[in-house]
Amino acid sequence: MDPTISVSKGCFVYKNGATRAGKKAAGKRKRPAPGSSSLLSQDVVQQPFYAEYRNAWNQVNDHIADLQQRSYARTLEQLVDFVVDQGLCTTMDEVLPTAALLTGINQPDHLSQFTALTQRLHAQRAARVCVLQSRDCATLKAAVESLVFGLVEDDAEAENVDEEDEDVAERDRKRLRRSQCTIKQLKSWYSNNFDSERKRRQLVVILPDFECFGASVLQDLILILSAHCGALPFVLVLGVATAMTAVHGTLPYHVSSKIRLRVFQTQAAPMGLNEVLDRVLLSPKYAFHLSGKTFKFLTHIFLYYDFSIHGFIQGFKYCLMEHFFGGNAYALCTDYSKALGCIKQLTHEDIETIRRLPSFRPYVEQINDCKRIIAVLTDDDYLKKKLPQLLRDCLLHFLLFRSSLEFLTELVGDLPRCPLGKLRRELYVNCLNRPTITTPEYKECLQMLSFLSKEEFVAKANRCLDRTEQFLAEEIAPLELGEACIAVLRPQLETIRQSVADVVRATMATITTTSPDEARPATDHLTQVASRQELKEQLLQRSKEDKHRHQQNTPTTQFARAVQKTLHLIETLFVQDHLRPLQDAPPIHELFVFSDIATVRRNIIGAPRAALHTALNNPHFYMQCKCCELQDQSQLVGTLPDLSVVYKLHLECGRMINLFDWLQAFRSVVSGSDNEDAAQEQIDPQIQARFTRAVAELQFLGYIKMSKRKTDHATRLTW
Amino acid sequence: MEIICSSLETLFPCREAAVATLGELIGDSREAYPSAIYLFGHSGTGKTALTRAFLKECAKRQKVRTAHLNAIECYTTKIMLEILLDSLAPEQGDSLKADNMLDFVEQLRRWHCAPDSKSFLIAVDNAERLRDMDANVLPVLLQLQQLTSLNLCVILLSQLPFEKFYNKTGLSEVISLHLAQYNKAETQRILGSDFTQVRSQLLDQFGQDSKRLEICKEAVTEEFYNNYLNLFLSVFYKACRDVPELHLTARKCLSIYLEPVLDGSVEASDVSRLWRHIAGPLRSALTQIYMRIEKPPEEAADFAAIEDQSVRKMAQSLELPYYAKYLLIAAFLASHNAANQDKRLFVKHHGKQRKRMQTVNARAKTSDKMSTTLGPKSFTIDRLLAIFYAILEEKVGLTCNLLSQISTLVHLKLLSFVSGEQNIMDGSARLQCTIGLEFVLQIGKVVGFNVRQYLCDFM
Repeated sequence: MDPTISVSKGCFVYKNGATRAGKKAAGKRKRPAPGSSSLLSQDVVQQPFYAEYRNAWNQVNDHIADLQQRSYARTLEQLVDFVVDQGLCTTMDEVLPTAALLTGINQPDHLSQFTALTQRLHAQRAARVCVLQSRDCATLKAAVESLVFGLVEDDAEAENVDEEDEDVAERDRKRLRRSQCTIKQLKSWYSNNFDSERKRRQLVVILPDFECFGASVLQDLILILSAHCGALPFVLVLGVATAMTAVHGTLPYHVSSKIRLRVFQTQAAPMGLNEVLDRVLLSPKYAFHLSGKTFKFLTHIFLYYDFSIHGFIQGFKYCLMEHFFGGNAYALCTDYSKALGCIKQLTHEDIETIRRLPSFRPYVEQINDCKRIIAVLTDDDYLKKKLPQLLRDCLLHFLLFRSSLEFLTELVGDLPRCPLGKLRRELYVNCLNRPTITTPEYKECLQMLSFLSKEEFVAKANRCLDRTEQFLAEEIAPLELGEACIAVLRPQLETIRQSVADVVRATMATITTTSPDEARPATDHLTQVASRQELKEQLLQRSKEDKHRHQQNTPTTQFARAVQKTLHLIETLFVQDHLRPLQDAPPIHELFVFSDIATVRRNIIGAPRAALHTALNNPHFYMQCKCCELQDQSQLVGTLPDLSVVYKLHLECGRMINLFDWLQAFRSVVSGSDNEDAAQEQIDPQIQARFTRAVAELQFLGYIKMSKRKTDHATRLTW
Repeated sequence: MEIICSSLETLFPCREAAVATLGELIGDSREAYPSAIYLFGHSGTGKTALTRAFLKECAKRQKVRTAHLNAIECYTTKIMLEILLDSLAPEQGDSLKADNMLDFVEQLRRWHCAPDSKSFLIAVDNAERLRDMDANVLPVLLQLQQLTSLNLCVILLSQLPFEKFYNKTGLSEVISLHLAQYNKAETQRILGSDFTQVRSQLLDQFGQDSKRLEICKEAVTEEFYNNYLNLFLSVFYKACRDVPELHLTARKCLSIYLEPVLDGSVEASDVSRLWRHIAGPLRSALTQIYMRIEKPPEEAADFAAIEDQSVRKMAQSLELPYYAKYLLIAAFLASHNAANQDKRLFVKHHGKQRKRMQTVNARAKTSDKMSTTLGPKSFTIDRLLAIFYAILEEKVGLTCNLLSQISTLVHLKLLSFVSGEQNIMDGSARLQCTIGLEFVLQIGKVVGFNVRQYLCDFM
């Protein structure tokens, strides 16, 4: 079931585990079918674009989940082994076996990892698990209580308790109140349920956010756990976000000598992201693509702000939604055969959407037959007939693009200083954003490639070819249009291969095909100089000519020529043809590429300060009311809300604001500034009340603070 | 009593005097116990182990009811009383309830009236925690004998001298018993007492390898082991006197010591060559003492994997998002520069500064005036953000993502709140940067930012 679309998911009323009967009934209750659980109304859900959206998202999501499972797997396996081993070996008394998992700094992201660990342990029936969050552990009392409660009430495991023990477990459960959760209780519970050798379980205590725990609570907790290690087989798992020094910094000697630490390292977050990007988002399997800018924007958030893979995926999902919700025309953004099926269902509206796409116009312009132009622009059926070819071209283009990207990545990825970028994602962004050939970075790359020695160049070229071939065979071939793509690329690869073979054969011999006019008798010229002036001129001229010849960059050796030729081939075949920037992509590519970066930026990056300023400075922006329309941002109108007027007035002040002046200004704005002698008048209490209230609201919003130094003054807090 | 003492003396070498004193005080349950005994000494001197064994013996031989509890567990008085009642009267089960000290004393008094009145021993570990509990706990425990008129003795175990327990209302005197630290010879004797166990373990370990087994049988003698312990203590005794810790480390290093002997490269009797071989590993083990980092079996070979955690490595291994790194640098600068220098440091056209002899003299800082060595000062979030924007070349919006980085850094304990944690909204919260200069220099190097350039101390 889709995790976020169904808002109703969290709304089922469970009786908390206190009464087992109730819980069982709840477990058996059928969840409503996924279709009806959506927030959206039925008619939206049944639209083709929605179906396509769900389809695409589910595919991507499953793929990512699968990938992450696999990347966690190794560490988790080690960890589970560690926990299980602790049960087998008899330990020294009062030493608590502890695993420290170095997770990386985004703590919320790693909770899922601990959930996976819990599931695995449950699956092996090896342990009872309690995840102890730092927010539950403000004091030692709270910590111990939630620890015991968590272990005893570890439900997923309790489901598996054998029938004969059920009544025992039930009795325990009924008796348990929060305040009764002490270590003593835990002991008696453990001896009731698990004491026999047959089903001895480890008691795993997971602290997912080690750094957030109070040092004294943590120390005491560890001392208590280690004191009871003999009777209760505790295993402690620490999720450490920074480094092992944090552990040693928090625990003094008398505590750290009570534990036995084993360190486990998990995959670093940027590596995880790269994997997700390479395997999933850049996979040729999916018809949906992100434009270079959007792609860069999302990775930028990740790398510069939060290191949250989860956040990245949600951002991607948002783009996906935004794309598909553009209308039913976007239902074409799918596999080729499915898209063909969709064409028939397109209405006039949808066809119009397609016609309005920016890339449609060049397509129309390149048709040189008037009748056909009119047909394309007015006749829906005619366009529908044309569409399959357009879609095919588009999809094929992306496949070719992706395959060529593979080639280019291998070619320039390991050059010194990586001018074009090292990783596939950087190259992807670079190639999509602008014509690569014209960039100075590309020229730099070419130059560096031509400087390579023969062995290096040949090896590199072969690596590129092999990798592309491999990519074609593994990723492209199973796809629908894979055959077509391979058919295009194979001959080109073959050409390059031959050219590389030429390079291998080429010798270092200098080619002496100097043209006759160049072969100039140099020596005799110099002998005939009459004056020093003349000699100087001649030398100057000659050096200029030399430079000129150098600039033409005519390679002088056979080898260099062959290299040049190969590079030229690569450039024309791959870079120019396939790695075209987005603006040169085939018509109607907008159906497949999401590039509306402004919307995404506005919606997924919260800018509270800017939003507040807009709201107060120009309320019309949000309220859309007639009364507050402003010609100019700084304009002050009496019809604005009081708070807004007060805010705008306060912007004009310095650090300290005199309340009385402020009030006067407020009055003159609100009551219309026509009466000049207003200052003498008694202030209308109603206006004063409105002013006071607005100032209080402003204070509540955190813009001002009443000053204690100066009477009747407020301090501005923002600038 | 003699039986108890003699059985304990073999278990606790070098503690004969303490065992004898304890035996005289509470060795015989028919005699009146002292009201309370205070047993103190550093960690690893055998307080807890000795007391536990003593209580066990007493319970076994003289049918004394005993209770041993750890004061750390007793975060409420009720828990302590429950544990006490449970272990003093196990047969009565859950029927005994005591919500406060009064109930507890009442309960015990009732036992006095019972016909089979017995003796009771109560030991409290980490007794220094009792001071922080309810005010009546410690005085009542010390006078429990008087209050209940039972033959009852409370043994308090702690690392502090008893003077630290005195409070305003005063305490009744107790009998203090100090367990002094073991000296070097004693330590060696204690470590050497498990020789037979070590030997049998080693022989087990090489059970498959017959050649090694032979060498091992021959080489590992009492003298060999003592030599090893002697070398071991020459390195470790200065740093650590905690016997269990030494015990553990000695076991760990023994296999390294034994390695050249098993290979046949060094004679078992050639102590000086063995010393040359072991000195390095011992020293590196010394840096790791108390850390208890255990390596998985496959990685046991590379000894230097984890311990080489210099600041440089740590700073490089710590992954932070780009802006978080800049925030951290900004926080460090804010913490280690005076606020009135900010304008000069971060604003391009800050005007000319007049140089007067006075200021020059004041500026001539001695090293103890350097703010980097004085420790961090606090700063407000506004100042942090202002410096952040000043040192960052590109323009970044003040977004939620950026602001949440600050709280992430606080969570990671790289920044910490000094005051006003509750009112972040009105801008009076003050933060502090907790990382050192070395660390921040490394982070600056990663993002290509010269931190020194912006520190007043290095101007």
